[in-house]
Amino acid sequence: MRLSPSLLIRQNLTRKLLRSILLILCIGVAFFIFGVLSSFQQGFKGASAQTSRLVVASKVGGNETLPLSYLPEIQALNGVADVTHITRLRAYVENERNIVGANAVDLESYARVYSDAYAFSTEMLRAAGADRTAILVGRTLAERMGWSTGDTVTLTSFVHARSGGDRNWRFTIAGIFDGAEMTTDTSFLLARADYFHTAVMRNKNRVDLFGIQPKPGADTQALAREIDALYANSGAQTRTQSETAFMSAFLEQFANIALLVRLIVGVAFATILMIVANTMIFAIRERTLEIGVLKVLGFSGGRIMCIVLAETLVLFALGLCLGLCLTAVAIPVLADALQSVVPGLYLTPRVIATALALAVGFALACGALPSINALRLPIAAALKHR
Amino acid sequence: MTSVSYDIELNGVYKSYPLGKSRIPIFEDLTMTIPDGDFLAIMGPSGSGKSTILNLIGGIDTVVRGHVSIGGSMLDKMSTRALTRWRSEVIGFVFQFYNLMPMLSAAQNVELPLLLTDLSAAERRERVHTILDIVGLADRHDHLPSLLSGGQQQRVGIARAIASDPRILLCDEPTGDLDRKSADEILELLQLLNTKLGKTIIMVTHDESSTRVAKRTVILDKGRFVSEEIAQCA
Repeated sequence: MRLSPSLLIRQNLTRKLLRSILLILCIGVAFFIFGVLSSFQQGFKGASAQTSRLVVASKVGGNETLPLSYLPEIQALNGVADVTHITRLRAYVENERNIVGANAVDLESYARVYSDAYAFSTEMLRAAGADRTAILVGRTLAERMGWSTGDTVTLTSFVHARSGGDRNWRFTIAGIFDGAEMTTDTSFLLARADYFHTAVMRNKNRVDLFGIQPKPGADTQALAREIDALYANSGAQTRTQSETAFMSAFLEQFANIALLVRLIVGVAFATILMIVANTMIFAIRERTLEIGVLKVLGFSGGRIMCIVLAETLVLFALGLCLGLCLTAVAIPVLADALQSVVPGLYLTPRVIATALALAVGFALACGALPSINALRLPIAAALKHR
Repeated sequence: MTSVSYDIELNGVYKSYPLGKSRIPIFEDLTMTIPDGDFLAIMGPSGSGKSTILNLIGGIDTVVRGHVSIGGSMLDKMSTRALTRWRSEVIGFVFQFYNLMPMLSAAQNVELPLLLTDLSAAERRERVHTILDIVGLADRHDHLPSLLSGGQQQRVGIARAIASDPRILLCDEPTGDLDRKSADEILELLQLLNTKLGKTIIMVTHDESSTRVAKRTVILDKGRFVSEEIAQCA
């Protein structure tokens, strides 16, 4: 076999094969944890992470609502391109454990404001417009429930009763919509707000949220301040924030997902970093004499440093591949099992790119100390090492 | 390179090693000249400074005071980078315990210093083949060091030392780990490299009988040369 620096690196890594395999496994597990948890985080965020939309909710929070009459006033503001309103039905199907996300919305304006997130066809909007009890169901929810277009479904609301006191709402599915991206949450349904607000017993024309699409180039922070200032002295004060911040705040009601992910991944990587760095230091120390001989033969300290760094890079590259392969296998299984909790659970290119950057960074960090040791090693001292 | 005379000169060398908080001097004012093409054997008790002389000449250790000059190059004035390059071109090392890379074959060990040259893979392969032929290991190309005898490993070590065609070979007890027969074969090989290829050889040894192949033998004690013998046949 022809001698080359890459052969030297390969031979060094395979001379203690079990140790190298264990290190690769170790790194692979760390990247598996990273891959799964980051996919969870991305899944929770859904498509909201990329949008400039604003969300207006009650400043009081909780289940407090806002009057629908705010809509034309918000629409009239200078920086607003479009606005829609959302009322949560807070409902379940058949039994109380089978909760579904259901919103009463104005379908036309909702489709415009969320056009980058969801694909609503003209046909499904026309079909929904023709029937007051029509609903549009997200693909994930439809698949989970086994629903299809034309089906009639009954939702029982925890809070909203119909005029007669009955909390059961019967709807007909007019279409099934998809998300613009594979991580977009489509595990909810949309009912017609005009029907809901006519039929509901209490809180008529009160909504949970307004979704705002700002005009291109508009200062969204200034716009948010302007909206909140508009209702600062009203009976229903508002809190306007970006959709991303709103979603994060919403999720943080249950747990600080981002912090949890960072903590677990951080602990996993810190442990791996110490194990790999320590092992590499010992591995290089075992080769002190060989490094001395290489230097005697004319290999510069820098060249030897590169060989050591390349070894850690190869270890991390193999560990990364293993970790991502495990993640790719695990994610579909987890996505199936946790469909109702994390609807958009996928291994995204963004997670892969982040993992790649982390692998390079950690490889350099782990290889730094042993390679610097190799660089500094005095030849005469190294040759005495047996 | 062949037109330059690679005389080795150590001039007023002071060298000491740390021992706790103090320093123990090895050489206080060592001056010696080794002419190009010489075969010098250095003998002496342990701790007399034999290996230190090799390290100073090979540029892997530095003097505290004085100068080491080889072929007009002042080693103590060179940068680490320049010294590394110079060493790869001028010096070949032969070690007592061979110090071969255990995971590389005999041919790959010999090829190792050639990775630093501009030779193509084919040229490197051809040179390795020639050198292994010179040291009598043409049929052991693909053997790992662990599959070779001590004598054969030392031949690979010598082949590696001469692979980049250095002018000077520094041999630190090259027969110290070998039986008599293997030792004699190695000594004959070194003599051949000196007489036929004109390599300057400086050999540190404890074995008096090894000095028979050298042109000169010096005995070192406590950092000073206490006697010198010039071989009759030289």
